[in-house]
Amino acid sequence: MSDNPRQEYSEQEAAQVFDEEFMPHIDAMYNFAYRLTFDEDEAKDLVQETYLKAFRFINSFQQGTNAKAWLFRILKNSFINDFRKKSKQPAKVDYQEVETYYNSDDVDFKGTSDLRVDTVKDMLGDEISNALNSLAVDFRTVIILCDLEGFTYEEMAKILDIPIGTVRSRLHRARNLLKDKLRSYAQSMGYDN
Amino acid sequence: MEKEPTNGEKKLTCGDKAACMQLLEMILDGQADDDQCAQLESKLEKCLPCFEYYHLEKTIREVMKSKCTNKEVPKDLLSNIREIIAKA
Ligand SMILES: [Zn+2]
Repeated sequence: MSDNPRQEYSEQEAAQVFDEEFMPHIDAMYNFAYRLTFDEDEAKDLVQETYLKAFRFINSFQQGTNAKAWLFRILKNSFINDFRKKSKQPAKVDYQEVETYYNSDDVDFKGTSDLRVDTVKDMLGDEISNALNSLAVDFRTVIILCDLEGFTYEEMAKILDIPIGTVRSRLHRARNLLKDKLRSYAQSMGYDN
Repeated sequence: MEKEPTNGEKKLTCGDKAACMQLLEMILDGQADDDQCAQLESKLEKCLPCFEYYHLEKTIREVMKSKCTNKEVPKDLLSNIREIIAKA
């Protein structure tokens, strides 16, 4: 779970770490699990499994480090290893990650010309949520971690086991895909200018 | 920051897209320091595409935060976890 040197918590210490550092994140964990699985029962199972693993491997959790990031990493790994296999979601999306995207033609302000701030503000229904849910799981995940959960690039890199440059390029692509989706909603709603 | 993009002083095309984009994304993602935030303000003053991009992205994040609201945690989840742990 971690490269940190192991320590041994006493039974009482372990219970305290579990209660004070792990349990407060149950809301965020369940929401993340639900946005990964789209299924209430699967989300529940995933969170339960994550907490069980967290308990079993509690000695590899260093007090004072970010418990939420540690738990999210376990949840993400459980999802990939166990749940994604069972569910009907495609195992891997075929896309290329270009870490040097800031120097490439991919850099543009595409989206601002035909998707307006007021249009987005007028999306009062589930458009944004649906747009987010429609993204492939790897793209959806980075947006959830960054925008809904407020993790830093560095924390995301640890949770996802990818370099920071990949976090940033994946986020960049995810945001463009999200805007594409919003743009098509805007058009179908007759919002386009 | 909240000024309307009607300022005739703003350039209509961005002269330094790669640098602007990198800075904008870091700030929107809450990863920039004070220095970089100050840099952004001066960029937004001068550059219309950057100004528009910034406000669109900021709005999407705000709407997303308010719309992708928290799904309520099932009542038995907490007690289930306690049970599992007690048996572990
Ligand atoms: Zn610019």
